[in-house]
Amino acid sequence: MTDASAPSTPVAAPKAKSLLTQDDRTKRRNAAEKRFRAYGIAAITVGLLFLVSLLWAIVQNGTPAFTQTFVTLDIALLEEKLDKNGNRNIEDIKKVSTFGYSPLINDALIAATADIETEVEDGDLKKILSASAAAIVRDYVIENPDQIGETVEFRLLTSSRVDGYLKGRVTRADLARDKNLDAAHLDLIDAMVAAGAVEKVFNWDFILGADASESRPEQAGIGVSMLGSFFMMLVVLFLALPIGVAASIYLEEFAPQNKFTDLIEVNISNLAAVPSIVFGILGLAVFIQFAHLPQSAPLVGGLTLTLMTLPTIVISTRAALKAVPPSIRDAALGVGASKMQSVFHHVLPLAMPGILTGTIIGLAQALGETAPLLLIGMVGYIASNYPDGIASGFLDPNSAMPAQIYEWAKRADPAYYERAWGGIIVLLGFLLTMNIIAIILRRRFERRW
Amino acid sequence: MEDMIQVDRAMRTQQDTKISAKGVQVYYGDNHAIKDVNVEIDDKTVTAFIGPSGCGKSTFLRCLNRMNDTIDVARVMGDILIDGEDIYDPKVDPVQLRAKVGMVFQKPNPFPKSIYDNVAYGPKIHGLARNKAELDEIVEKSLRKAALWNEAKDRLDAPGTGLSGGQQQRLCIARAIATAPEVLLMDEPCSALDPIATAQVEELIDELRQSFSVVIVTHSMQQAARVSQKTAFFHLGNLVEYDDTDKIFTNPQDSRTESYISGRIG
Repeated sequence: MTDASAPSTPVAAPKAKSLLTQDDRTKRRNAAEKRFRAYGIAAITVGLLFLVSLLWAIVQNGTPAFTQTFVTLDIALLEEKLDKNGNRNIEDIKKVSTFGYSPLINDALIAATADIETEVEDGDLKKILSASAAAIVRDYVIENPDQIGETVEFRLLTSSRVDGYLKGRVTRADLARDKNLDAAHLDLIDAMVAAGAVEKVFNWDFILGADASESRPEQAGIGVSMLGSFFMMLVVLFLALPIGVAASIYLEEFAPQNKFTDLIEVNISNLAAVPSIVFGILGLAVFIQFAHLPQSAPLVGGLTLTLMTLPTIVISTRAALKAVPPSIRDAALGVGASKMQSVFHHVLPLAMPGILTGTIIGLAQALGETAPLLLIGMVGYIASNYPDGIASGFLDPNSAMPAQIYEWAKRADPAYYERAWGGIIVLLGFLLTMNIIAIILRRRFERRW
Repeated sequence: MEDMIQVDRAMRTQQDTKISAKGVQVYYGDNHAIKDVNVEIDDKTVTAFIGPSGCGKSTFLRCLNRMNDTIDVARVMGDILIDGEDIYDPKVDPVQLRAKVGMVFQKPNPFPKSIYDNVAYGPKIHGLARNKAELDEIVEKSLRKAALWNEAKDRLDAPGTGLSGGQQQRLCIARAIATAPEVLLMDEPCSALDPIATAQVEELIDELRQSFSVVIVTHSMQQAARVSQKTAFFHLGNLVEYDDTDKIFTNPQDSRTESYISGRIG
């Protein structure tokens, strides 16, 4: 110490430095700080750019899925075609298949386009309609047999090509390679739009509806898989939260510190990093092959996702418990509370915001998880909507939102591509909602701290 | 005033022993923290533990209500009797013991709940009140004893953490006495307080002596001299000297005690 401060070669007495000039050392230090700030700003800018372009792409590609093109048609429900006996017997009416309805719809189309000059042949007119049109008319007739003989106004889905044309997805140039429509159809559509018979409206069926076959993407919706996801999240919430929180409380507050609990701790940390597909194959082996639970069921999906979510919940709960100051435990024990009373009356309420945040983030993670669902068959093709088929929920085959998006993205028709993006918007909407709930809960509980 | 203290001290000699420790040894893992401590603590008396940092005075204090149980590596040997009963007997539930031996900690640590709930918590879990009215009474009595009633009566629903440091510590004292303990342990209760709050708490300690046996750990020798009737000096895990406070400070028997109180060690 004294050696260092008394150099052997004495330098000329240093001039008193002015505070108004920076010495080299200070300059270098300031330059380093400035550089570091620049790096930080650059990193954030790049991140923001990626985020904005991602959101832009999602919104750009996804929003068209929320509108759909419909055509309004007056269809004469002719008695001689639909109810030959004329006695309105529902069984007889049901015998008429959708093929029996096609001529009626075709006639209505011919009538509707009578005023419009078109090169489309009468037999080709129905190509502008969705394949679902006949089924919709038939369902209506079966429900309202008394309407037979009347002329009823229907709003029918147009085919996905027509819908794509009005959304700008399908251009005239594309039609050269397309045997479904030709340019004459598009002229006809333009004329019908001008006449008000064809219009684009908000597509509730996309949000609430069921999946549809590859040949009629215009009918497909994400509603049923949303229910599937909902049932799974219920299972995850009611299993992962109590099990995870109980395990964390035990490990953090009661368990003795020994090799065994150390081993458990290491395992939990590692499990959190295990790829989700591993949990998928575990779920397949344990729940389906061993326990013989039904495939594609939200119960199995929920159980598998519970396994996946548990480590996340345990880790965040333990962190939240650790963050509660020990003085609170001392205070409780000091007035004669038992260990359990001190944990449940004082520590747990204080750890609640952390626990809830961890749980909701775990749930959000589970909601967006796809890989394990593919392995347990949670990619059911469910074309029937509520209340047919999926009402009983936990054990009936279903799909889940991310799995449905994956399915749509796989299909060839660009209309499905659009729906995949739209599905992502719905999914992100749910995740955003959950995160906002997490933030609100955290704020609310933290006030008391 | 001086006379009264003299009278008090004279009376004290006739009082009974409340806590009696015999051959107490404490180990933290391999660290021998308390070495063969024997001490008799009187009832209705303030006993101060003084000594340099790390001398084991807080450790010994925490033995008296078995707070050391919460530390996995701590081992306590020897006998500690309260009213003749061994508190380390396997049949003793530390929860019951701690209701009888209250504790106030170094840093004010009110629960992040209302003032009322802070005080009412102990009586509630020990079933000391049969109804709300009784509970209200206990809360009021405890807050009055802790000299906090006048400041807190209009905001019993306000959070305890919103009080000032000195008020928080008095709230903790109220919380500790609400369970009607017989012994009150205080672990440097004034070390986080300013002189005015310290004076209030000290005054309070003197009043509490009417009802409890108070054991206080303190770093401040002046404080020990002001509030206590008996003083124990700890050094390196040993109980060096234990006697009447005025004797310790005026005529210590041990050279280490003398060094410490005169400021030469510690």
